Amino acid sequence: MIMENKSVKILSAKQISIQNPLAEEWMDNPLSYTEDYVRAVDPDFRQFISAGDARRMGKLLKRALATSLSALHEGGIEDPDAIITGTGFGSIENTELFLDALVREGEQLLKPTQFMQSTHNTASSLIGIHTKCHGYNSTYSQKGFSFDSALYDAWMQFRLGRIRSALVGSHDEMSPVFSGFVRKAGHVKEGEICSEAAVSVLMTECGDNAYCTLDGVKLLDTPSEVTLKQVLADMTAGGINAVMTGMSGNAENDSWYGFLNTMLSGVPQLRYKPLFGVNFSSSAIGFYAAACCLRKGCVPAVLSASGKDIDCRKGILVVNVVEGRHYSFSLLKSVCGK
Amino acid sequence: MEEMILKLKQEIIEVLNLEDIKPEEIDNDAPLFGEGLGLDSIDALELIVLMEKNYGIKLQDPAKGKEIFRSINVMADYIQKNRTR
Repeated sequence: MIMENKSVKILSAKQISIQNPLAEEWMDNPLSYTEDYVRAVDPDFRQFISAGDARRMGKLLKRALATSLSALHEGGIEDPDAIITGTGFGSIENTELFLDALVREGEQLLKPTQFMQSTHNTASSLIGIHTKCHGYNSTYSQKGFSFDSALYDAWMQFRLGRIRSALVGSHDEMSPVFSGFVRKAGHVKEGEICSEAAVSVLMTECGDNAYCTLDGVKLLDTPSEVTLKQVLADMTAGGINAVMTGMSGNAENDSWYGFLNTMLSGVPQLRYKPLFGVNFSSSAIGFYAAACCLRKGCVPAVLSASGKDIDCRKGILVVNVVEGRHYSFSLLKSVCGK
Repeated sequence: MEEMILKLKQEIIEVLNLEDIKPEEIDNDAPLFGEGLGLDSIDALELIVLMEKNYGIKLQDPAKGKEIFRSINVMADYIQKNRTR
């Protein structure tokens, strides 16, 4: 199998999160919160989904469809070759309803709709059915590494020449009950906002008006210091303006990114989690935010540790570290001057 | 019977999440599937669960649903005659 060395264009990227939905208002006027559990700000879903179609969809499915249709619309593509989705826990609210009914009433009277929505691949399937894209369709469920896994799959499919376009996303909702479990399990830590996110990114081999290009994706499991150094050196050889980190302000979480201080010293470190909170699709938000910065040619002050805007005309390395063991690196490059 | 029909319509609206439809908008004689309410096979499963859960009616032969779910009037009549709770 021949792996082609190529970059992939990011044609559009859309989010629904605790910031205003399907927009980039957060870059200049972000919403701020004092609560430690915040649900997503939803758009009017009726502009995307009819009442008849919506009646079997929970919030996660509506958000997944709204971000997907918006991304496809902006990118001018109706039917991508692949739909690849990440989700930590899928439609957890319907899963809770299904399990509650199971405990309360036994196995005899379970509702089929809740069962259907309790499976993790429902979002990817729904997007495929709704857009009539019946090609490659895959779902990755790896907790906070789900988007990274989906992105890596898309990257490999492009490099193998199997696809020319892909809709890659990650979608997670957080019910009140589940947010308690997630905090107890340490997935969301002290000082972090437990939140929700749905992100869809449209990628193609070619196309005009791209936000930026994706020039590399690397996933590592418990890498040695030598490996980390080599990967960072390789990926940043062409120069970058900043590194988008998953740092949140929590000491344990932020210590996982300590290697950047020495291995990429002098490179500004950006933080998106204080703005968007923490959930299993957080890394998709980091990727989306980096793509938006490169499109604008500038990192807004709200993301930078220095509190100042940063010129951004070369590239951003997006770094996600989960549980101090799983590392993901995505290199996004500016299209300015190309 | 009228009270029973109203209750049944409310239950159907709730279980099938037909949030834009009011009970009085459902024609008692209109087909529930295809035309009329435009329900589908998954809705049929939801209605089978509803009948067992709320009225104690267990459909041994799911194919019978096609006849029972023909309209609100037919469904209400079947429930009236076969309910155990």
